[in-house]
Amino acid sequence: MMQVAIRGLWGRKLRTVLTALSIVLGTAMITGTFILRDQINNAFSDIFHEGNKGIDVVLSKQTAFTSDNGTVAGPLPESVIATAKTADGVDKVEGQIQATGSIVIDGKYVTSSGGAPNLVFSYVTEPFSNSQFIAGGPPTDNKVAINQKLANDEHLKTGDRVKLATDAGVVPVTISGVFKLAGVSSIGGATLVVPTFADAQRWYDRVGKTSVVYLSAQQGVSPAELKQNVEAVVSNDVKVQTGQENADQQTSDVEGATSFLTYILLAFAGAAVFVGLFIIFNTYSITVAQRMREFAMLRTLGASRRQVMRSVLLEAALMGVVASLIGIGFGILLAIGLNALFKAVGVDLPTAALSIPIVWSVLLPLGVGLGAALVASVAPAVKATRVPPIAALREGFTLPRGVLAPYIPYIGIAGAALGVGVIAFAIRAGGGGSRVLLTMAAGAIIAFLGMSMLSQLLIVPIAGALGAVLELVLRVSRFLGRIRDRIPVLGPLVRRVMYGLTLGYVWAAIITALILFSVLRGGVKAGTLIGAVVVLAIGGALIYFLWRRRLREWPWDASSPTAGVLARENTSRNPNRTAVTSAALMIGVALIVFVAVFVNGFKESFLGAIDRSITSDMIIQGQSFQSIPAPVVNAAAKVPGVATASGIQFADAKIGNGGIDTVNGVDPTTFSNVYRFDWLKGGSNQLLRTLTPDDALIEEQFAKSHDLNPGDTFNITSIDGNKLHLTVHGEYKDPSLMTGLIIPSSTLAKFSPGSKDPGIVLVSFDQGPAGAQAERAIRQALKSFPAAKVQTNAEYKRDAEDFVNGLLQFLYVLLAMCLIISLIGIVNTLALSVFERTREIGMLRAVGMTRRQLRRVIRYESTITAIIGGILGIVVGLVFGWIVAQGLSDQGLIFVVPYSQLVGFLIVATLFGILAAILPARRAAKLNVLEALQYE
Amino acid sequence: MNATATPTAVVSARDVTRRYGEGDAAVDALRGVTLDIVPGQFAAVMGPSGSGKSTLMHILAGLDKPTSGTVEIAGTDITDLSDSRLTLLRRHQVGFIFQFFNLLPMLTAEENILLPLRLAGESIDRTWADAVIDQVGLSDRRKHRPSELSGGQQQRVAIARALASRPAVLFADEPTGNLDSSTSGEILKLLREMVTQYGQTMVMVTHDANAAAMADRVLFLADGQIVRDQGRSEASDVLAAMAEVSAL
Repeated sequence: MMQVAIRGLWGRKLRTVLTALSIVLGTAMITGTFILRDQINNAFSDIFHEGNKGIDVVLSKQTAFTSDNGTVAGPLPESVIATAKTADGVDKVEGQIQATGSIVIDGKYVTSSGGAPNLVFSYVTEPFSNSQFIAGGPPTDNKVAINQKLANDEHLKTGDRVKLATDAGVVPVTISGVFKLAGVSSIGGATLVVPTFADAQRWYDRVGKTSVVYLSAQQGVSPAELKQNVEAVVSNDVKVQTGQENADQQTSDVEGATSFLTYILLAFAGAAVFVGLFIIFNTYSITVAQRMREFAMLRTLGASRRQVMRSVLLEAALMGVVASLIGIGFGILLAIGLNALFKAVGVDLPTAALSIPIVWSVLLPLGVGLGAALVASVAPAVKATRVPPIAALREGFTLPRGVLAPYIPYIGIAGAALGVGVIAFAIRAGGGGSRVLLTMAAGAIIAFLGMSMLSQLLIVPIAGALGAVLELVLRVSRFLGRIRDRIPVLGPLVRRVMYGLTLGYVWAAIITALILFSVLRGGVKAGTLIGAVVVLAIGGALIYFLWRRRLREWPWDASSPTAGVLARENTSRNPNRTAVTSAALMIGVALIVFVAVFVNGFKESFLGAIDRSITSDMIIQGQSFQSIPAPVVNAAAKVPGVATASGIQFADAKIGNGGIDTVNGVDPTTFSNVYRFDWLKGGSNQLLRTLTPDDALIEEQFAKSHDLNPGDTFNITSIDGNKLHLTVHGEYKDPSLMTGLIIPSSTLAKFSPGSKDPGIVLVSFDQGPAGAQAERAIRQALKSFPAAKVQTNAEYKRDAEDFVNGLLQFLYVLLAMCLIISLIGIVNTLALSVFERTREIGMLRAVGMTRRQLRRVIRYESTITAIIGGILGIVVGLVFGWIVAQGLSDQGLIFVVPYSQLVGFLIVATLFGILAAILPARRAAKLNVLEALQYE
Repeated sequence: MNATATPTAVVSARDVTRRYGEGDAAVDALRGVTLDIVPGQFAAVMGPSGSGKSTLMHILAGLDKPTSGTVEIAGTDITDLSDSRLTLLRRHQVGFIFQFFNLLPMLTAEENILLPLRLAGESIDRTWADAVIDQVGLSDRRKHRPSELSGGQQQRVAIARALASRPAVLFADEPTGNLDSSTSGEILKLLREMVTQYGQTMVMVTHDANAAAMADRVLFLADGQIVRDQGRSEASDVLAAMAEVSAL
């Protein structure tokens, strides 16, 4: 049977290749993702361990919990350095200030590429330093050293005078040197500026403080011993770690951050494999039907049912294994390619040497690929066993439908309903993130499976409707064509032009001209000249080739609605097949629509909340999502024409005994001038103004989840371990901008010193002429704080919108993988259908169908299938989006139908249909009439 | 083209040869066939299997190209036509009836019949179409799909489809090969009527002596050559001739 299986695969190469491709893409993504993850994690691990090499013990502020939102603990008192020195076995002790800030050139704040942070770490000497100077040397007073990437990107060298953005405004500094960090020019694209310890204290509001303290042990004292000795002398709010422990923790922190990317990529790989299942299933279903004679013949020769089944499964398994192996190979290339891509777009992730984790990037994808091939081919294999030997002798034998067949659409309805129910349930239950997401994914899979079964019922009516539209269009175009042909002189000319526009070589010429134009526009250099010649040569060859090809088809036949009718009938004659084919596309489109609905809903609710709640005229935020130096608030408030400047600080805090939520720090006297509260339970702005350090205003969701009412009390703990006992002073609703609770900003600064700087400053203007000038005045006044990004509300919203759109595009690109796989599915089904209808095609050609008409029939068929997939996908995506929006409506998510994008998706689906038809249509048109007629 | 085709011939072949394959494996299916089919003639082509009768029909109908020699249909030399022109010629001048009917399963009888006209994008002559459908006896089966029709009825649909475009010549390839004898008789009678009533020119390849007996002219092929060309014959004469030809 093995031999039969191998021969079977070899005998149908194109089909095998196309089917395998659907597995190759998914497995490649899995392999690539894991390789990339390991590469990045290993690299960071190397860097951190290298960086901590000379450090035996690290002291930092003890943290009460870990924050996902970047809330950090405050600094240690500088006295810790002296205290630590008293411990036994200490050789050297040194403190380091760690802050954020960057170089300012020509008044512009230098941001890092790819959203990496702008770090300022004060200089530490040997053995603690992990930097190697490649030019100049360590900083002295008012001098700073910078990392190599920053120096290269901004063309800075030793001795250059630049400015540095600090919490105390812009200060002039001189570059003392350029260094590499643990052997790399930058860690993940971050910029790093290194001043002296004293300068850093002064500039970053850390006088009398230190962020961390490094210790080295005397000869003969192990880091673990030193750790114990130090623990004995310092207070217990100081966290004492060995260098190794610190490196491990830094590594695992980074792993936590990169795992998000891993999960996203894996989710898309999973979607790709899922779409692949449909394609494998469809291909095997069709080929089993086509190979009935062969199976019957095997049966007459004495093969048992089990052997027949095994031969089909074996063939699928072989295909699955080979495809997975190819996929794994591609995955390795993909990892290398992605690395280059990240580098090209500026996300300079450090990467260790390529290492391939066997379990995750070889065994897992192999298992997934093999599993997918087997799962998808089981039903067709079972069907093959039902072929009786007698089928070998009879022309046109058809298998009786399975026992379950009549119920499939109803099972589908139940499945779709169940899936939707599971999603709704998961959303309502809320709680733990990954469990909810996995439940939702399971619900989506059930719903998609149900939908693909149920869609059998929908194929005929939808195809009928689309066919009617198509027929109408064709009739109208024929009618217009007839009128056109009656116009003397101009008519034939227009006909020629229109005909020309349908021809490949005309388009090839246009595209060649366009490429040539853009190549030459870059100025005539040797490179562009070669490029132009290449383009001309390829374009010319293409035009010549297509011209010759098309010339044979003259004269042009009138467009006839019959092609539309035949296409419609072809899609309807085998609704199961069309259903599964379009289902593959449906899944991709549904996911894209869902993402579009979800992200747009998120965007709209965020922007809507800004419009509703923010009454300020300008919004100031930090560069690269960093916080804003605290003095900005006062500086802005002093600008003439400014009525109010009010900052908001954000910190994560542990609520009661469990759960982490956001604490917002606001100025009770000014905040209501820039923010409109939606008060609940009788609250008013008066409540805000009377907010004492022991009071909190709580958001509706927070009140619900912690069951709090005005007058109740609760405890919160900051990341530094500080505790607050708060009384609920009032309740408001804002699920988008001010979630969690609000306390006075002065309280927050003490409670969570690491978050003392505002994340956002809202500025409102005076009424009248002074206010009108304020916008310019404020930009001028804040020049000394380039870390603050000053924007009008409209600019801020546009920024937010751009950010969301960028995210959307990233997701679209990943989801395009699913679409490409479904495109392969359409090609495969069409090619198999063409093969199956060989004799019919021969007859059509014999009775007068031109090649052009034949291609058109297949193209229309493909387009109808694709549009059905598109329509169903849009419907399913909208349903998913609606359910999720409903479930999250109390968190402010609104349901938005992105109409223009939906139209765009439908157009893309149509184009996919046209694209998918090219190859099968060409094959069909090439068939020799006589051979086709005699084909068995 | 030294030999002038009879001006009135609908189909004429001159020194047609057809060779399949190359070198040692080459097979000569036709070795110089010259013939003319005049308007209104019902010609039957007979011969033992491998005699080249199907090849001859394919070449006369423009489905296959001769290795040498020329073929004209309705005055057009089809030997060097492009695929497109050949398709259009088939569409307008040639009708086909196949052994296995070759109907589109998803179209109704009437849609199948009108398919060639629709493909041509021409306005349909309803009276003619109705007359044809009436003639083949399918007036009450217009809306049925092929799967709902008997073999004989399906072949009637195929005949009507071939006639709908009023072709200059109709080719029938073993039209009764897949039917039982009584149905065969009906189909043959129908074909005969078409010739007698409408003057339809027809070329039929068959190995059924009864079918050949319906024709005005019976051509016998053996080894790629016409070995006998006789007028209207009784079935028994045809059988005798066949026996003689096979014995050659």
